[in-house]
Amino acid sequence: MAHRTRPFRALAAAAAGTVIAVVAAACSSGTASPASSGGGGKPVRGGNLIIARTADSQSMNNTTVFDNESIWVFEQIFQPLYTVTPNGKGVMPWLATSYTLSPNKLTYTFTLRKGVKFSTGKPMTSADVKFSLDQARAASKGWGYIDTAIKSVADPTPSTVVINLKYPWAPLLADLSLFSNAIVPANYGGQSEAQFYTHPVGTGPFKWDYWTKGQALKLVRNPYYWEPGKPYLNSVTWTYVADDNTRQLQVKGGQAQVDEFPAWSTVSTLKSTSGVAMDLFPSTRTDYLAFNELRKPFNDVHVRRAISLAINRKALVQAVLFGNGTPANSLFPPQVPYYQQATPGLQYNLAAAKKEMAASSVPHGFSTIMLIQSGNSDQLTIAQILQSELKPLGINLTIQQLDPNTATTDFQTLHYDMTLSYWTMDIPDPDELVTFSVDPNAGSKSFFTAYNNPTVVKEARQAEQTLTTSARATLYNHIQDQIASDAFMSFLYYSPYAYATASTVHGFVVTPLGNYHLENVWLGK
Amino acid sequence: MARMSFILHRLLLLVPVAVGVTIIVFFMIHLIPGDPARTILGLHATPHAIAELHREWGLNRPLASQYWLFLDRLVHGDLGQSLYYQTPARELIFSRVPVTVWLIVYAAVLAIVISVPLAMLAASRKNGVRDQAVRAIPLVGLGMPQFLTGIVLIYLFALRLKLFPVGGYGSGLGGHLRSMFLPSLTVAIGLAPVIIRSLRASMLEVLGSDYVTTARSKGVHGSRLLIRHVLRNAVIPAVTVLGINIGFLVGTTLIVENVFAIPGIGQLMIQSIFARDFPVVQGVTLVFGVIVVLVNLLTDVAYTALDPRVRFGR
Repeated sequence: MAHRTRPFRALAAAAAGTVIAVVAAACSSGTASPASSGGGGKPVRGGNLIIARTADSQSMNNTTVFDNESIWVFEQIFQPLYTVTPNGKGVMPWLATSYTLSPNKLTYTFTLRKGVKFSTGKPMTSADVKFSLDQARAASKGWGYIDTAIKSVADPTPSTVVINLKYPWAPLLADLSLFSNAIVPANYGGQSEAQFYTHPVGTGPFKWDYWTKGQALKLVRNPYYWEPGKPYLNSVTWTYVADDNTRQLQVKGGQAQVDEFPAWSTVSTLKSTSGVAMDLFPSTRTDYLAFNELRKPFNDVHVRRAISLAINRKALVQAVLFGNGTPANSLFPPQVPYYQQATPGLQYNLAAAKKEMAASSVPHGFSTIMLIQSGNSDQLTIAQILQSELKPLGINLTIQQLDPNTATTDFQTLHYDMTLSYWTMDIPDPDELVTFSVDPNAGSKSFFTAYNNPTVVKEARQAEQTLTTSARATLYNHIQDQIASDAFMSFLYYSPYAYATASTVHGFVVTPLGNYHLENVWLGK
Repeated sequence: MARMSFILHRLLLLVPVAVGVTIIVFFMIHLIPGDPARTILGLHATPHAIAELHREWGLNRPLASQYWLFLDRLVHGDLGQSLYYQTPARELIFSRVPVTVWLIVYAAVLAIVISVPLAMLAASRKNGVRDQAVRAIPLVGLGMPQFLTGIVLIYLFALRLKLFPVGGYGSGLGGHLRSMFLPSLTVAIGLAPVIIRSLRASMLEVLGSDYVTTARSKGVHGSRLLIRHVLRNAVIPAVTVLGINIGFLVGTTLIVENVFAIPGIGQLMIQSIFARDFPVVQGVTLVFGVIVVLVNLLTDVAYTALDPRVRFGR
């Protein structure tokens, strides 16, 4: 059969040779040199920025949606009266240019910016502002609660908006900077609410193009945008790329220019990758270990303090964040107004932890279950570290992994012993975080821990209605000290927002609240 | 006529399959812990907000009533509204089906293109060097996790050689062919070893039969013998293997869809299960059931095309 095998032999040899040549060519490495960052130079008009992100958006309804992947998109379409400053600690005029406050502190009169138009070309007026704020306030299953202090909104002249409050309200400007209070056309431009949000219209730098769910969402330049010369980009496309490796390869291969949240383990490699800039933007994200005070022995402050003191936060930062973070000392992250650096949030001290345990209702230890989300490698790493760190206290920790939805349901219905959670700020003011965390009647059951310290609750309410900065600072400092001492949660670490961008991207900056202004971004060569 | 009758009979079987699937999936997804309202609301899931969403979605009704409503909609072709996206579930699902069908069909074609020549090569010299190589080397593809195969292919052919894009579905026929090549190859690399072995075994069996000996004695040798006289008779068991594996593929393309950022139905299914997006889970499962039945039907029809001795109804 020798002659019959010749065609096969030739074919096999040719195939093998081709494969070897291809693999050798592909594996030949180029020079790896640190990426040049995307700074400097004069902005260039044009181009389509592609952002590869970890999840798809859910909805463009800014008054009801809570997921960041929706929020960061429609913030390019809708704009509020005030916006967050770049350092995340205050607000600056945006669609309003100034305001006056009545002597009784109950009436704010805002002057609207001249020359602002929607992407349809229609000028924005106070009627649009009144409509938008009234809609936001009415969103009872959405963000309506943030506007609880507002009694009414009036539009006496086309360029003036008056907001009447029920009581003096310190966070008002911060609340108005929230995306839910962004301005849409009055009466949704003649459409129903549902129709409007399928192709929304706003005053922002970009306007709606299309959304193929699960694939890509695209916005194009708003030709009527009010900032002269901006936006520089022709369009922005957000693509849904769930896999960390694929997002990174897309940026390296030029198919995308921004990789949202690369894996922590890849950050140092990306920093030294040619053509890629790795940015770690300061954020307001804080990770916590929550205790359910409805379950013994977590109602015992000594137990909570003992656990908090037994946690080596530096080790967590190394293991989970690969060093890209800092141990947390307060409920507040450093980028939040009134953050107190001196807050004595319990840090690692095993001797002190043992003393607390000895003084507790369970001096010889106990068994407990730590609930985490399955498939979440960060949470698993934290849980495994805690399992080992709590052993010297006699605490036997069993890790329970549940699918994310079930784990969330159990957390929010207080069917857990200990679990992990986190917070990122929605507004540049601590009020929302404090109310959510310490007020058992605020709907969130004190961050789902059942913590109840009436003094802290009273101070939180006082701080909301105290307009003097120094007085608010005193109240929030005391709140931070007290809740750190009560250890209703263990504050674990602060982490930055990680973005890898192609070195052709300029002006991409993320505020500590997580939002970005794409009108400032341009693509170089 | 017999063929048409057979096909119609099998298509009618879709009805009890669909009903069975909907009952099982409906009650399973509603009875497992978890709440879709909490996915939407996140940390802001107050009791009031949850109750409002439940009312809006009809989740506060008894389960039997919800199932009846689902069936009523289904007979009118309405799969309900996605709780996550707030858009018709039918639109969502049917926009993804072509993507997964592309992936599966393209992968099957590539698997056949890889497997048939290699099986012929192996069968032509039983236990020879190339037979050993053909049996051993593809097993690497079988043993390697799909996500790793995918990443390696992306790195080599997309990033380094720039022959294909790094993921995505592409647009237009040419775009789909190019974008879907690497993901389909990833799936085919996992399918091929099984098909090669099955086809090789049947070819060896056929090579030993009398009519092949007769053909050889008449001077028919080599590729002509294999292709004209052996392959067609040996391929039926391999068709069965391919059909069964394609059936499994329908529900397991998720990993490849994730690695290559392809908006297929596997990805939608997992996302919907995690979010407890009941209408979409129910709709996707129904589509899976229909596809599996259709694949089995195509496999049976393929038998008769390949072997005239196989008759419908016998």
